[in-house]
Amino acid sequence: MTILITVCLHPIFRACNLQVQFTEDGIHLPDIGLWLDNTQPCEATWLSHAHSDHARGCHTQVIGTSATLRMYRMRLSVSENQEAPKMFPLNFGESMPWNGAMLTAYPASHILGAAQLLIEFAGTRLVYTGDIKLRPPLAGDTTEVIACDRLIIESTFGLPIYKLLTREAAAQRIIRFAQECLDEGQTPAFTGYPLGRGQEIVHVLANAGFRTAVHGAIAKFIPVYEDYGYRFPGWEPYEAKATAGKALVVVPDHGRVLESSGKNIRRAYVSGWAALDNARLRGVAEDLIPYSDHADFDELLELVERSGASHVDVVHGYTAPFAHILRSRGISASAPQHASDRTNIEAEG
Amino acid sequence: MDALAQVCEDIARVGSKLKKIERLAAYLRPLHDDDLLLAVQFLSAGPAAQSGINQTLFATEEKTSLSVGRTVIREALQAATGWDREILRLCFSETGDSGETAGLLMRGISAEAPMTLRQAEQLYGQLGLAHTSARKRELLTQIYRRYQPLTIKYFIKIITRGLRIGLMERMVEEAVALACHVPAASVREANNRLGDLPKVALAARHGELASIETRLFHPMDFMLAKPLERLEDLARPADWFIEDKYDGIRSQVHFDRGQVRIFSRGMEEITQAFPEIAAAWKKIPGKGIVDGELLAWRDNRALNFNVLQQRIARKRVRATLIQEVPVIFMGYDALLHNDALLLGMGLQARRQALESILENAPPLLQVSQQRGAATLEDVDRLFLESRGRGNEGLLLKRKDSLYEPGKRTGAWQKLKRPFGTLDVVITAAEQGHGRRAIYFSDYTFAVRTPNGFANVGKAYSGLTNGEIKELTKILRSASTEKFGRVILVKPEAVLEVAFDGVQKSPRHKSGFALRFPRILRWRKDKRADQADDLARVEALYNSSVV
Repeated sequence: MTILITVCLHPIFRACNLQVQFTEDGIHLPDIGLWLDNTQPCEATWLSHAHSDHARGCHTQVIGTSATLRMYRMRLSVSENQEAPKMFPLNFGESMPWNGAMLTAYPASHILGAAQLLIEFAGTRLVYTGDIKLRPPLAGDTTEVIACDRLIIESTFGLPIYKLLTREAAAQRIIRFAQECLDEGQTPAFTGYPLGRGQEIVHVLANAGFRTAVHGAIAKFIPVYEDYGYRFPGWEPYEAKATAGKALVVVPDHGRVLESSGKNIRRAYVSGWAALDNARLRGVAEDLIPYSDHADFDELLELVERSGASHVDVVHGYTAPFAHILRSRGISASAPQHASDRTNIEAEG
Repeated sequence: MDALAQVCEDIARVGSKLKKIERLAAYLRPLHDDDLLLAVQFLSAGPAAQSGINQTLFATEEKTSLSVGRTVIREALQAATGWDREILRLCFSETGDSGETAGLLMRGISAEAPMTLRQAEQLYGQLGLAHTSARKRELLTQIYRRYQPLTIKYFIKIITRGLRIGLMERMVEEAVALACHVPAASVREANNRLGDLPKVALAARHGELASIETRLFHPMDFMLAKPLERLEDLARPADWFIEDKYDGIRSQVHFDRGQVRIFSRGMEEITQAFPEIAAAWKKIPGKGIVDGELLAWRDNRALNFNVLQQRIARKRVRATLIQEVPVIFMGYDALLHNDALLLGMGLQARRQALESILENAPPLLQVSQQRGAATLEDVDRLFLESRGRGNEGLLLKRKDSLYEPGKRTGAWQKLKRPFGTLDVVITAAEQGHGRRAIYFSDYTFAVRTPNGFANVGKAYSGLTNGEIKELTKILRSASTEKFGRVILVKPEAVLEVAFDGVQKSPRHKSGFALRFPRILRWRKDKRADQADDLARVEALYNSSVV
């Protein structure tokens, strides 16, 4: 299989002796023969978390936390003449040598299993956050900030207009909306992505004692969460015919189906994008609950500052503006050209 | 004001109309009279305009009645937050709303002092009276720093006249009725008569709705016509009075034995710009309010709007200009005659009153001709005749229609088939506002020239949301340069636009601009080299110049 890679050679920073190339497919570390979240099949990649936008290619060697690898396996379809990827589990706090570097995984709290990777090579420390959240999530591990020389960070919510709710406040809002609807004889429906947000909302509702009906795409990953110690008391599979008296947790597309079904349903949109009023139209929801599994603006700044990194690469979301903001605070920062900019308006958040 | 902001935020959050009305009513009910006046004013009409300050006849979207535009709002925010221009631009373009952006960015920075409705009114007053934008900016910066972020959000939204919380004036009327324990119909009816919802609210509370009277020399909202998209949609042509649709300045004349004031649709007084018309009205006996239109007029027909334009924007009018651009008043409707309020009467009765007011009037004051039609073919013929007289099309008014100030109910309809259509190419796109803030929904378009493309206009309405979304993706990938909210794009996407005329324009390189362009459809089947060319635009212009 030929892999076509457009390499954009980025200036190599003195602070880091490890060469980093940002390409359309992912981040390449040629010195140690490793990719970070390569979206295309490749020789060896680190998988920061199991969202389908990158946890999909059939690579030869894959490194990730056990939870991430397990969900990656659930998504993977290996054809007969293909060899299944060789998987190297690397759990939180564990280290492994890799072509002259030392790799260590730390929690990133984004979704179950999401991890940051610390790469120590020739006396310098590089951290790749992947998708990250700094404050504790509704369900998942809490992030550690790792001191490093160079930090590669995302910026999904890298503008000062994005300030999101803490998990306590988000849980309160979720419960309040569900209770209000049920008290008035209506059915509350929450929309969440199949992996991460979906389970977090179910976790809040089920533990608050609501009868919670869960869409299949979200339910599929609940056993994985359960194996890692999260409890979802009494959740049940979603059935279109029996929704009364229950709180529904469905995927966004199905939310639209529900709305048009003419049933007595009210929708809440739980997302970082719900921080802006125009999300009401984008998500076609009544209530907006601005909570995300990504860090908000203040968290991103805090992460960068606490890492002590002497250079920051911003690779996803508002890359150029966030790098500009960091520079205006005296932090060396850049937005590599091939980093995925926020051009996709339906970006997950 | 803090409570008003909170109730607005709550109203935005509930979907049901009834619940929105109930929440607003619950907020209004306990307010003192003064506060009730202000709250209803802010919700229905925005801050009170400071008369005579920088008001133009045609208020642009950018300027508000306080002359506080988006630039001042942004610059003040720059001063209050320290965020630089580029970051703020991006924040504004993501939210698509000035008030929301200010509220979001002031979280954690502002002093969170409380603001009363009375204070809000005073602050609006100060902003309106500040004569330079530097002073306005300074005031607004202080306001941002001092008050609660949510209050700031709605304080600004009230200035920019877009609450965007799904609350229409009808619903405010209903909330007032609910709060004051009177029937909604009586509030609506009184508001129609007075056109001043805050005062109506106060009267409703004190059981004085019945005594609300229309006052002379206070402009009332104009009744508006709904566009009739297709002639075939008109049921029973015989039910309608049909008049020519002129392209002039819609005006309302208030007269009382020698005293005359003429108001434009922007509620601005324009008496001074048309002294000969005012003089003619002084000769009319009795008193009343008449709705009509000012038209540049020669040889028994209306001249192009471009001609009339020379008469606007002037405080004092030279006698020679009156000769060069002769103007008449074309009467449409009578709203008040002597002591009889006519709004609630049928059009036929109002028409009789109009004719009796203007009986024996000087020739500068005319009554528009009313025609009838038995069939759709008749209407079509009348349309073509109107176009033959150089007018825009037809106005159809149901014979039994009441005069509903400020409303566009469909009891009046306008038929305005486009002057022409052109296939044009998109050369630049701008992000929309509000619900369209995340898309490129405003397009600058061009026609072909021998050496490239030249812009002839800009349009934003006509495509479906799905098309806008799809086009946004295509334009993004075709973009060559970006300036804030605007991207320049490779001239590739072709639109078919309809428009009402062609005029000369120094703003465009082509030298022409289309009047009222709107998008008919996205011509995915056409390439840019198949678009219309400048020669065609020129020919259309030449054919329209009378």
